[in-house]
Amino acid sequence: MSAEFHDDYPSYEHMAHHSEEEGKQTRKTLWRVFWIMLAITIFELVMGSLAPGRGWTGATWLKFLFIGLTILKAGYIILSFMHLGHEVRFLKYIILTPYITFMSYGIFIILDEGVYSGEPINRTRVDPILIHQQEKLRAGHGHHEDAILEEHGQAKEEVQH
Amino acid sequence: MSHSTEISSKEAWGGGQSPFRVSYGKMMMWFFLVSDALTFGGLLVSYGFIRHKYADVWPKAENVFTHFPFIEKHLPLAYVGLMTFILIMSSVTMVLAVEAGHRNDKKKVIMWMFWTIVGGATFVGSQAWEWFHFIHGTADGALRHVWDMDSGKYVEKVIYGANMTVNEYGVPQFANYFFFITGFHGFHVFSGVCINLIIFLNVLKGTYERRGHYEMIEKVGLYWHFVDLVWVFVFTFFYLL
Repeated sequence: MSAEFHDDYPSYEHMAHHSEEEGKQTRKTLWRVFWIMLAITIFELVMGSLAPGRGWTGATWLKFLFIGLTILKAGYIILSFMHLGHEVRFLKYIILTPYITFMSYGIFIILDEGVYSGEPINRTRVDPILIHQQEKLRAGHGHHEDAILEEHGQAKEEVQH
Repeated sequence: MSHSTEISSKEAWGGGQSPFRVSYGKMMMWFFLVSDALTFGGLLVSYGFIRHKYADVWPKAENVFTHFPFIEKHLPLAYVGLMTFILIMSSVTMVLAVEAGHRNDKKKVIMWMFWTIVGGATFVGSQAWEWFHFIHGTADGALRHVWDMDSGKYVEKVIYGANMTVNEYGVPQFANYFFFITGFHGFHVFSGVCINLIIFLNVLKGTYERRGHYEMIEKVGLYWHFVDLVWVFVFTFFYLL
């Protein structure tokens, strides 16, 4: 056997140990990350609850804002909580590269193939009552429950005719 | 986090040490998480596709999830916001347990692990509550065409709540994806709580104290943060957008 056999691998578990002082610093960083994430979540909810009253619902800029903030939160979780930001660069890449590659493909597929999938001929049958209800909701007939009630009464009348 | 030995990139692949400078268990946990993340990614991509396909009849989450326990008011997304907060909070307590483990501080590990388990269990319970209300439906219900077995045709009928075939709130696909994605995530949280509980008992027994390091906390911590990470995406794509 030409190659020398090693069984004295460095103990990575013990390398992770740190002192009281380092611990204090780490905890400070972690709590800061927590406050940032909490602020982002509250901001998202406030924007989400303001949206219907101001006609922002479904606005493209709002969607991109939400997606952007989500990716920011994900970044904080992965790099700070999961500690990937402090790992060796090579490990970071071997985790992130395959995932980002595959997901880019997935996103490309929805954007590319989604274009024609919504056309009536490509859809399975949707209940006409439902289409009517949703049109009313979109036209701004208040809450979901009200629109349904309204729909309810009208449909009953139609049956009686 | 101080690295005692500096390894040059040429030597790193010569054997005798991990070029990633992590232990085998932690690296494998990362590889598992990547594969699991691809599963969730696939589910969310498929959800996006179907949602786009039925964009004109897709219900708005703020019209569906309006309940809050013990409060008889119309509070859109308030409860799911609280659930998100609970899960982020339990992620923080988990990472604090990991940090305490690095200092071999058994007492603090026990305390933070305990709060993590409490947070996780609360989240699973909240999700069960939300499922209950989603399945149960509103008092008024909604009119739908439902297939009648006896007459062999579609008849108009008021339905309440949602299941896999009919949905009071909108197209049935909305309910199907809701059950599948939040269910799959909820199952992950449930297994996370179970794993955390086992590790918590081991900490109490002093298994890791004898071993000299608390790396197991770090490994289950990775899984737990991943569960939180998935929820951040589910929250955005299912509830906010």
